[in-house]
Amino acid sequence: MRFGFRRLILLSLIPLISFTGCEQPQVKFVFSQKTNELIPEAAKPVKEALVRQFGNPFELTQFEGLPTDFGDVQGTVKSVESSGKDQPLIRFQATGLENAYDKLLGLPLEWTSGKGQGHISRIKEYDFETGTIAVEKSPEIDPQSGDTFLVECVRLQFGRDLYNRHCMHCHGMSGEGTGPTSRYLNPPPRDFRLGIYKYTSTKPTSKAQEADLARTVKEGIAGTYMPSFKLLTDDEVSAIVNYVIWLSIRGETEKKLVDELFLDYSETALAERTSEDGGETREEVLEELKEYMELDFPDTLEFATSSVAEAWEEANLEDAIVTPQTPRVADTPESRERGRKLYLSQKTKCASCHGPQGRGNGTATQDFWTNPATNEKYSERGLHDIWGNLLPPRNLHRGIYRGGRRPIDTYRRLYSGIKGTPMPAFGGSLTDEELWDMVNYVMSLPYDGNR
Amino acid sequence: MGKGWCLFFLFWPVAAVVSCAMAPFVGWSFPYDNAQAASNLGIRIDDLFYIILIVTAIVFVGTQAVLVYALWRGANNREERATNVHGNHKLELIWSIIPGAILLFLAIYQMNIWADFRIKKYYPEAAVKDPLAEVTARQFEWRFRYPAIGKKLQQKPQPDDLYSVNELHVPFGKPVMIQLRSDDVQHSFFLPALRIKQDALPGLQIPVWFEANKPGTYDLVCAELCGWGHYKMKAHVIVQSEDEYQAYLKNLTQKQFYDGLGKIAAKETGTESEAVE
Ligand SMILES: [Cu+2]
Repeated sequence: MRFGFRRLILLSLIPLISFTGCEQPQVKFVFSQKTNELIPEAAKPVKEALVRQFGNPFELTQFEGLPTDFGDVQGTVKSVESSGKDQPLIRFQATGLENAYDKLLGLPLEWTSGKGQGHISRIKEYDFETGTIAVEKSPEIDPQSGDTFLVECVRLQFGRDLYNRHCMHCHGMSGEGTGPTSRYLNPPPRDFRLGIYKYTSTKPTSKAQEADLARTVKEGIAGTYMPSFKLLTDDEVSAIVNYVIWLSIRGETEKKLVDELFLDYSETALAERTSEDGGETREEVLEELKEYMELDFPDTLEFATSSVAEAWEEANLEDAIVTPQTPRVADTPESRERGRKLYLSQKTKCASCHGPQGRGNGTATQDFWTNPATNEKYSERGLHDIWGNLLPPRNLHRGIYRGGRRPIDTYRRLYSGIKGTPMPAFGGSLTDEELWDMVNYVMSLPYDGNR
Repeated sequence: MGKGWCLFFLFWPVAAVVSCAMAPFVGWSFPYDNAQAASNLGIRIDDLFYIILIVTAIVFVGTQAVLVYALWRGANNREERATNVHGNHKLELIWSIIPGAILLFLAIYQMNIWADFRIKKYYPEAAVKDPLAEVTARQFEWRFRYPAIGKKLQQKPQPDDLYSVNELHVPFGKPVMIQLRSDDVQHSFFLPALRIKQDALPGLQIPVWFEANKPGTYDLVCAELCGWGHYKMKAHVIVQSEDEYQAYLKNLTQKQFYDGLGKIAAKETGTESEAVE
């Protein structure tokens, strides 16, 4: 037979070869630009602290006091498989992991009873069907049936896997908003690392509720590239939200640490301090930094993580939610007219951004604004959000409601403003009736052809 | 010529027949409920498919059998010399007329189904008069706009329209029509279970009708490679009884006009305060 099989196989390989050239995103948590602008001696401890507290994408690490659910599961050894002397692994059957998800591979397993109590093993193999676990053999551990253990980080890891599948290609591995598809999107995907979310049900100074983020994942954001993930189960959505909050906390912690150091120990600050005007030597600066790192840095780190964690926890309390005191004022022409007057008034100044007719073309869009973070003027005219993007005020006639189209959603936008943007909160300055009048006016605009 | 080629060409018709016969039992066949379409028109389309499948199978198996026979004879017979024949009028006629007749038969036979499916004049009148919803395809999701209960869908959005995303509810046992649009690029409205597929084109509004014949949750997917997130463009079409459908609309209305205090406040704060625990 002269089939020329070899040629056939080679031919069929060609499409395969041409597909494998795709670029893969790097699997690591990146550090913020500001961190990288610190002098190496200051950046190093910050980066080390972050790796210690949060790990890397392969090995997420736990520390006490975070409001996110790491999802430890308790397991019990059912039976240990006998293994040969030169076997590098110990295999055993376990119970209690039935509700954990199926990828426990690589997770830390802490022994809570038996000979190995207090020791930590890594899971080298895991079979979800049979409940068989294999860990590295070590002289300290000797599992017997009945021994108990904890598998750490299950929930967070589940969220990470889902996040990396559905969210990462826009929002990035570290939630920094620069995934591979991000450069094609306008508006750009959110950078989670400031811990600020625009569309929330909470008071102006509060963070987002878990329910707010879950709603965004499920409903998507109309008018942006954030699609709806309604087909994910509630459990999957909550795992993703859990992980996103964890990424936020990591980013916020990093920001707090860097903010402490940036004024004195960035490359530019060092250059200034060691210049003729500054009059210090590099050694003096480094000596001072060393002292700071020894005396104050641990407290700074402790305070950074705990304050961030606390803020997230507080957002989920019931009294963080904005709830109107009076029901929606009837949507009558009179109410809309009162709303329109408020809209045009000096009290609200809505028109200065959204324009006298709500077309998003107010005079403020022609001004050069000051960046609150740097105190410098932006190079372009118009409003900006705190992520540094140009932010045109919404055209209220388009009928696209990014934060939801229920009256309560518009009410909350007016009450709390839109976090991270120049849209102010009117919660204190307007009464409930006034807010509802404005809601009625704003929500009537898309259907009002003439104005 | 080796006998290996005989085996090679014998393998394919056998593999084709075996895999077709196995298909219904191993889930390679049409989706849902023993390959039975969830719409009456879909069942007719399936029948059309089976006719074409049988015709092509007979032709394919027949020609392969002749090919294998010729190869086999040639491989076993070293004595007989081949003769050079130039053209055979009778044969040419046969293999032109028979396929032509088959194609003509198929072309005429399918016309009714095509007309019922795609020509607006033949759409069920009730469905055309009162479209169910506007479906907007968008990178990468499906958005739906229903008219308020008791009202008709208008070309332009109305203040009391109802909205949902990635979840289309439809009553069964009656023809319904949707207005299909695209917000950005070309997408395709594909209901595999109902055998419905229609491209959505930016700038056009395309009416699509279908009649689901049994309740269930079916996939709505995009059948046009529309961008990087194309795989995410998946929704559910929930086919339910008229009563359940009306209840759904009622619930949607309440949700959509929720003011933080109204009737569903208890439920809403219930879900919102769940986050506290
Ligand atoms: Cu699509």
